Amino acid sequence: MIKNYFKIAYRSLKKNKGYASINIIGLAIGMAAAILILLWVNSQLSFDKIYPKADQLYGVGSVEPSDEGLSVWFSTPKPLAKVVKNEIPEINVVSRRSAAKGFLFTIGDKKIVAGFGSFVDSTFLNMFELPVLAGNAKTSLQAPSNIVLTKGLAISLFGSTDVIGKTIKIDSSESVTVSAVLMDIPSNSRFAESEYFLPWTLMEKMGYSDENWSNSSVQLYVELDPQVNLEVVQQKIKGITKKHSELRTENFLKQINRQYLYDDYKNGVAVGGKIEMVRVFIIIAVFILLIACINFMNLSTAQSEKRAKEVGIRKVIGAHKSTLIWLFLSESMLLAFVSGIIAIMMVALLLPSYSNLIGRDLSIPIGDVQFWLSFIGFILLTGLLAGSYPAFFLSSFQPIKVLKGKYVQTQQKFNPRKALVVTQFVVAVVLIISTLVIRQQLEYVQDRDPGYHKENIIYVAESGDIKNNIELIKQALMDSGIAASVSRTMSPITERWSGWNGFSWDGKDPNSIVEFNRQSADDNIVETVGLKLIQGRDFDLKKFPTDSMSAIINETAARTMGYKDPVGNYFNDGEDRFLIIGIVEDFIQESPFRSVLPTVIEGASRWMNTIHIRFNPALSTKEALSRSEEIFKRFNPNYPFDYHFIDEEYAKKFDETERTGTLVTVFAGLTIFISCLGLFSLAAYMAENRTKEIGVRKVLGASVLSVTKMLSKEFVILICISCLIAFPVAYWAMYKYLSGYAYRINISMDIFVLTAVLAIAITLATVSFQSIKAALANPVKSLRDE
Amino acid sequence: MIKLEHIFKWYNVGGARSFVLKDINVEIAEGDFVSIMGPSGSGKSTLLNVIGMLDEPDEGNYFFLDENILKMKSKKRSQLFQSHIGYVFQAYHLIDELTVYENIETPLIYKKFSSSERKSIVSDLLDRFNIVGKKDLFPSQLSGGQQQVVGIARALAGSPKLLLADEPTGNLNSKQGEEIMELFKQLNQDGVTIIQVTHSGKNAEYGHRILNMLDGQVK
Repeated sequence: MIKNYFKIAYRSLKKNKGYASINIIGLAIGMAAAILILLWVNSQLSFDKIYPKADQLYGVGSVEPSDEGLSVWFSTPKPLAKVVKNEIPEINVVSRRSAAKGFLFTIGDKKIVAGFGSFVDSTFLNMFELPVLAGNAKTSLQAPSNIVLTKGLAISLFGSTDVIGKTIKIDSSESVTVSAVLMDIPSNSRFAESEYFLPWTLMEKMGYSDENWSNSSVQLYVELDPQVNLEVVQQKIKGITKKHSELRTENFLKQINRQYLYDDYKNGVAVGGKIEMVRVFIIIAVFILLIACINFMNLSTAQSEKRAKEVGIRKVIGAHKSTLIWLFLSESMLLAFVSGIIAIMMVALLLPSYSNLIGRDLSIPIGDVQFWLSFIGFILLTGLLAGSYPAFFLSSFQPIKVLKGKYVQTQQKFNPRKALVVTQFVVAVVLIISTLVIRQQLEYVQDRDPGYHKENIIYVAESGDIKNNIELIKQALMDSGIAASVSRTMSPITERWSGWNGFSWDGKDPNSIVEFNRQSADDNIVETVGLKLIQGRDFDLKKFPTDSMSAIINETAARTMGYKDPVGNYFNDGEDRFLIIGIVEDFIQESPFRSVLPTVIEGASRWMNTIHIRFNPALSTKEALSRSEEIFKRFNPNYPFDYHFIDEEYAKKFDETERTGTLVTVFAGLTIFISCLGLFSLAAYMAENRTKEIGVRKVLGASVLSVTKMLSKEFVILICISCLIAFPVAYWAMYKYLSGYAYRINISMDIFVLTAVLAIAITLATVSFQSIKAALANPVKSLRDE
Repeated sequence: MIKLEHIFKWYNVGGARSFVLKDINVEIAEGDFVSIMGPSGSGKSTLLNVIGMLDEPDEGNYFFLDENILKMKSKKRSQLFQSHIGYVFQAYHLIDELTVYENIETPLIYKKFSSSERKSIVSDLLDRFNIVGKKDLFPSQLSGGQQQVVGIARALAGSPKLLLADEPTGNLNSKQGEEIMELFKQLNQDGVTIIQVTHSGKNAEYGHRILNMLDGQVK
């Protein structure tokens, strides 16, 4: 029976090659798009779930009141780990993690600046159980002289993974021995960037650790036994920082696999985050698949007249309705299956560029039985979704009517096919509007003035011997005419490394708590990066040696402090008192989509870690770079010259939004394409269905133009209905999307008009071919066989 | 075998009833060969459809093998008819996507015969109607007469007691028509009850008796 079904299905598809290929192409594209989205969704949903004990692992969060409400972050002071472990009996295992970066690894004669790594407590690998390739994970981080490498790093350092016991010199001081090699960490782990793990005890030995409660800079993870009552532990951990310090910080636990997706907090409460984007894309996937299925439904039912006779005969010779339903379903299953195969090939082909686009390393898990089972389930679901309506529709024909040729398509006011087309275009229109809004928003923010110059400025991190030779380097850069201006800072101007809510100034409301960004600079910062001075002056240590305890503040900080004339006044950063010597326009260190926080740039007495160099405009960039390299090589011979352009770093701030924009554009394009495929064939069907009417009209004197207009008009009306439904939906969705950005556009009505015009133009282009074809047909032919 | 009592069928046209069948009383015994004749619109096809239960009367009683059909549940009714009735159409109504062999086989599939049973029945029929050489051809590759032969073979596949034929020779030339009628005669002699609707007096003569219809009534 089944074989018979498929045989018939195959022949009927072969006979209607045109319809079948439109169906298969549409369905395959829809399925491929849905699979690509679902692969991404899966990688998002599986983020940090890859650890065997993921459900028992929690990150320690901090929450603190400010004028803006409660703010939440996930770093903690280093001494919290010990206190948590000692005072909360339910917590037995804890591990801290601190980022490691910029170390010089020396192996024999080979010198490499290592990428990202982590300092972790010796319990770390027992908690997270990252898969081990060689060595003993349990003991591998116990001695301060150990290092654990990932496979990738082991191969790039030693050319092999058989490296247990090999020695690496870190910077010029420490020697460590490889104690274990891990498999490369997948991209859906928070540790994906870490290429090596160093013991916390080494960090202490190197002097990077401290017992300072107000330096909240490391992550703390705890492991709970499954039977432990989480609420009890939450109560116990809540006041623990307050108890040991003078901070107002409270602590809480959050399951680590929920931190990534539910990362947006408003006033201390989790209100979504990345999970919302995941949901949006699940909806997009479902809609794209639905649109492809709608095509299928439309095409199958449009062929009903051809199939009606067959249905009649089969019923007369003994087929039940259910038998026929299965017949049509097996046809759609066969189509879905063929489409599925094509789709998975498309996915395999597109996956590398898609991974690139979304910035996540995705692959088809070829060896995974579960994946293939869900793939087959996906095909069956698609076949069912696409085939069920046609199956019920076609199988319900009355044999007597269709066999006697009395089968006439009644002119219903409400035609399900039309409703399906409207559904398709509602989705398409919503996606077009979203694309336009996201693009506009992106351009708007890209045009925002960052408050500093971006061109021809680089920054270099102060690695190795740079700190010791800094004055010589600065001197050399200036004397040789490479640099127009040089300035040391704490962080790159495009990054925010430090913030605090403990600043105070004269007349400050003692109850007010405001978060400030903290930057520092030695000399000429305004000149070097091109900040816009409103009042006062730049740092100038030669003229004013006291500038090491001066500060330049931004406009927002000036407003926050509320001095009538800020320049000449003071503010306090803890014990230290800074004289305000200048006010600059707000400049963007963090996200350009957000509003700028009050920011202070403190003078040369503070910690410096970055050099900004504005090149001499008379030199070509290439020349300036190569000559800078010479100087850095001279004073810091062990390290490669590692520089970053400000404009490139600034552009990275848009990566995420650009990615979203590109994704939505791509999927909007696909939706429109699939919808147009459907529209095209539906137009063909409608024209076919009305051949006789068209024939009569032409005999009565209708012109080709008037017939074309008549046929196209219906579709234009459908599109207008779609627009009417889609506009409020799109407005609402985009309003919600934009409200996530402090710096944003207003949704303009132009977008809606543009979309409507676009949709109608696309529709006319699609259906006019069929309309004109039908209008040009010779009426004698269509009327003859009546 | 068949007993129709006071069968009425009508359509409502603008509030008034337009009768297609008006008080039909007919009895047909097993082994009979009946021809229904009459002009276009006289209701002969409708009567045939009512007998074959493709169409339902609005009033009256219909006994098939002594069972009151109109009071039966539709599923049971269609089972009864499936196992006892075969249909032959004027336009053959073969399934274009299936070969000759598969067209004949299809009703057997619906009757859930095993594949070996199907094979032997279809082979028998192909033999009997002398179309073994054409079994792998599609309907479009056959002449009208040959298609109708396949249509008859398909109708007989389920070994029905009753064969209903609606103008079986209507689309054929006279020589082909004659061959088909000879085939019917032969089948009738083998014990199959046949009811045919026809325009042609010559073909009607093949039947044992003729029902003449006019304006929905048997004259």
